[in-house]
Amino acid sequence: MKQNRVQKLTRLAMLLALGVLLNYAEVVLLPTAFITPGVKLGIANTVGLIVLYYFDDRTYFFYGMMRILLTSLFTGFGFNFLIALSGWLLASIVVVVMHQWNRLSIFGLSMIAAVFHGVGQILMVSVLYQSIYMLNYLPVLWVSGLTAGLLVAKISQQVLIRMQRIRI
Amino acid sequence: MKKPFALQKNPFDVYVFSLFMIALSILISFSNLYNRPGGDLYVSVYIENALIQQYSLYETQSITFTQAEYPILLGDIVLGIDDARIRIEQETSPLNVCSEQGWVSSPGLPIICAPNYFMAVIEAPIV
Repeated sequence: MKQNRVQKLTRLAMLLALGVLLNYAEVVLLPTAFITPGVKLGIANTVGLIVLYYFDDRTYFFYGMMRILLTSLFTGFGFNFLIALSGWLLASIVVVVMHQWNRLSIFGLSMIAAVFHGVGQILMVSVLYQSIYMLNYLPVLWVSGLTAGLLVAKISQQVLIRMQRIRI
Repeated sequence: MKKPFALQKNPFDVYVFSLFMIALSILISFSNLYNRPGGDLYVSVYIENALIQQYSLYETQSITFTQAEYPILLGDIVLGIDDARIRIEQETSPLNVCSEQGWVSSPGLPIICAPNYFMAVIEAPIV
């Protein structure tokens, strides 16, 4: 995707809007707390993977941070913001390191992002509540993260293949 | 510019998946080892990380924690205990995560109402 500064900014803005929309829609339309708190598909991560594919690590990091901040304008900057922020931060750091390693495909990166997002969230809740009980949720979030990561990777893969076909 | 990642899965993805599964097995083993209850179970309620009260898990009851008593709560919280299980019957929060979680019967698996700084957990003496 060859692009100048304005094109890059415009594309990023559109992807960011899409990411925020998907994130918010998932929170509102797909409540999954009855499974286990913290479990969710993370459909907005499809956009994150597209950003990582077409742009660089720094842009991916910036996109993620902006998505969290903008989504929190709708959902609030309280406890949930801190949990989302910690999940994003840990997942992004590990994904960027793994991306630099350059051995993993979209499936490996997506699995890592999903699992470490859950780990980051649990660590934050454990710190805020000064309780190790939350660590008992780790196996559940680990399994759901792996499943969601693979699913998100498959969706992103199909979107990216189609985007290449129409040369976006 | 750095070459983008591959879109088709490769052996390194399988290694990562295998590593995650091994780590998961270890996690579950440790979790089961740590959470072996010994003796009668009870329910502990924490607000702002402070232990407020402990209740028997075998006595059916609904306990109300009022906002007047605990100003940090966003509204009254009703904790239900029935048939050796606990659940949040009523609470006020933006997403109602803890009341939607439903019944919990496993020791060590807390119900957390994050915006209310409220936590209820089944506890047991550890053997």
